[in-house]
Amino acid sequence: MSKFWILTKQVYKEKLLSKSFISLSLLYVAIIAVVVYWDNIANLIFKEEPINISLVNETDVDITSIFTSNEDIKFSYSDDSTDELYEQLESEEIDAVVTISELNDQLKADIATYTPLQLNAQSTINSYVDYASKIYGIQSLNLTADDAEKILNSQPIITLTNLNEKMSGKSEGEKTSGLFLSYFIGIVIYFLVTTFLSMITTNVASEKGSRALEMLLVNVKPGTHFQAKITGVLLLAVTQFAIIFAAIILFLYMKDTSSTDSSNLGFVESMIGDISVSYLLYVIAFVGFTVILFLIIGALFGSLVSKVEEASQALTPAMMLLLVGFYVMLSGVANPDTLLIKVFSYIPLTSGMVMPMRIGATDISPIEPILSLGVLIATVVLGYLFSLSFYKRSVLTYSSGGIIQKIKTVFKFTTK
Amino acid sequence: MTLKLEHVVKKYKDFTAVNVLNFSIGKGEIFGLIGQNGAGKTTTFRMILDLQEPTSGTITWEGKQINSVNRDILGYLPEERGIFPQMKVEEQLYFFGELRGMKRGEIKKEIDFWITRFDLEDKRNSKAETLSKGNQQKVQLIASFIHKPKFLILDEPFSGLDPVNRDLLKDAILLLKDQGTTILFSSHQMDNVEELCDHLCLLKRGVSLFSGSLLDLKKQYGKTKLTIRTDIPVEQLERMNGVKSVGKDREDIVLTLLDESYAKPIFEVVSNGNYIEKFSLDYLSLDEIFKDKVGGDNE
Repeated sequence: MSKFWILTKQVYKEKLLSKSFISLSLLYVAIIAVVVYWDNIANLIFKEEPINISLVNETDVDITSIFTSNEDIKFSYSDDSTDELYEQLESEEIDAVVTISELNDQLKADIATYTPLQLNAQSTINSYVDYASKIYGIQSLNLTADDAEKILNSQPIITLTNLNEKMSGKSEGEKTSGLFLSYFIGIVIYFLVTTFLSMITTNVASEKGSRALEMLLVNVKPGTHFQAKITGVLLLAVTQFAIIFAAIILFLYMKDTSSTDSSNLGFVESMIGDISVSYLLYVIAFVGFTVILFLIIGALFGSLVSKVEEASQALTPAMMLLLVGFYVMLSGVANPDTLLIKVFSYIPLTSGMVMPMRIGATDISPIEPILSLGVLIATVVLGYLFSLSFYKRSVLTYSSGGIIQKIKTVFKFTTK
Repeated sequence: MTLKLEHVVKKYKDFTAVNVLNFSIGKGEIFGLIGQNGAGKTTTFRMILDLQEPTSGTITWEGKQINSVNRDILGYLPEERGIFPQMKVEEQLYFFGELRGMKRGEIKKEIDFWITRFDLEDKRNSKAETLSKGNQQKVQLIASFIHKPKFLILDEPFSGLDPVNRDLLKDAILLLKDQGTTILFSSHQMDNVEELCDHLCLLKRGVSLFSGSLLDLKKQYGKTKLTIRTDIPVEQLERMNGVKSVGKDREDIVLTLLDESYAKPIFEVVSNGNYIEKFSLDYLSLDEIFKDKVGGDNE
């Protein structure tokens, strides 16, 4: 085995078996399990009785097929007087009384409660009343059943035609799927980078601080050491990503096979169905190169500090940049077409989080992601070459002071 | 000669760490590099190990430039102690062995030998950070020579070791020498250097004050250390011809002479034809020569 792989194996094995990696991976799996099984957990912990709503229909419209009960809301029809119903409200036997009546050829709904309804229930009642109002309107026009059906089920046909061949028009479904996936990717990048940037920096700093590095560098070239650190930690990041991905698929699959409702994997399948292969390749490239870029920065900063305690101080600027990229990505969930998003989709340290969102959720020219990826790859290559050259000089230079002072010291003691 | 340094200079902008250094070491020799803190010892080691590039001059190993030599023939123990704190002792030694191209079977043999020799049997599976400072140092020492390097550099190997472990290390160094390892080491403890080294180089602020055999260095000063036990007052001894300085060492009086030839007249005065309990003329110790050469402010 070459020295490179011996060092890579050592980093990978040491970190893979570390308590922090194991506990963090378990935490991710637990969070995924909670998210996937949230409705089951919520039912177990917060099991609630359905809301009882009493309906009083003072019109000729048949509303029984409209106001249908489900596990959250139960509708009942009562012949009791309004006063009696209000008494039942006060005694909390029922949660609301909905009285449907006519006023100036319009449908009117009075909703009476003793304890205000939850937003969810309120919205459901509103949508049912809205639908009943349409039925009432159709009935008052004396239309045939077929005509009424046509009006109610009429859907506009929207086709997107983009005359600019360089721009691809995406359907709403594609954009929504792209947005969801990009949001997920942004979060994954954020967590992977925060974990592994800190890991590589403290690892290099710890070896440097303990002088073990001096012993290693007698037999291993600094460049090999630098490459092995990045590869080892990158493999660890891939391992953690694989654990997260496998946990998601496994839990969704288990949930699907254990319940009659097969909407979970179906949702993922439909989302993936909306995503093009080129988009997935772009996402993989952006995630990969962004993580590599941050690892290069992490190793470089680790080589600058003199002891492991200084590692977090050295990391602060990179962490800040990462945080900025993350918040810009979050702002894109509401509107991915802003100028802010466009600008940050080209900045190498943030493009990995922001550009996948633009590719997935907006109509952009194919040249833009290529350009952004090109800038990112060029930055990785230049950053790697610069860091490699600097690493050789900084890794055995010990100095006090801030990062700028340390860089000055490295130049002072290594420039011929 | 196996290792040869010729006109080696290391400059950092306006500061010269090593100034025209020349010395050579023969195969299987133990060579001491001595000097105060900041004398340029570690910089010299780092240049030999190709961790730093000399500003000018050449360093060769068996006639080849040191940076073109297979790195696995080298072993190094840095001045400040460093091992992987989270790694277990045995795991650590396997790692260093594998890194220098050894097979696991060979490593196991060496680990068993050195662990027993350094009395670390019960620490095999302990994490390095849980060991005492002395034991950590022993583990690091084993790590530096587990691969039987042809050339071993030990930077202050004795610091922090108790007398028992110091003897263990001395024996180990001599064993490695017998196996043909060329050893270059630095130490502030001159008695160790004196005991182990065939040749040495004395550095002061990057400049070599002496390079050669220990005996030649001592001969430079001659036998000028006179130890006597007498009732004659110190003041009288100070006034004697050829006496450079007078000091006391418990019951003994130690005179430093200007020259070996002054010893005989002093003996005649001190003994005055009678029995004298102690009269010993010897070379200066390396410690005394070192203090004299570098200015007496060695830590």
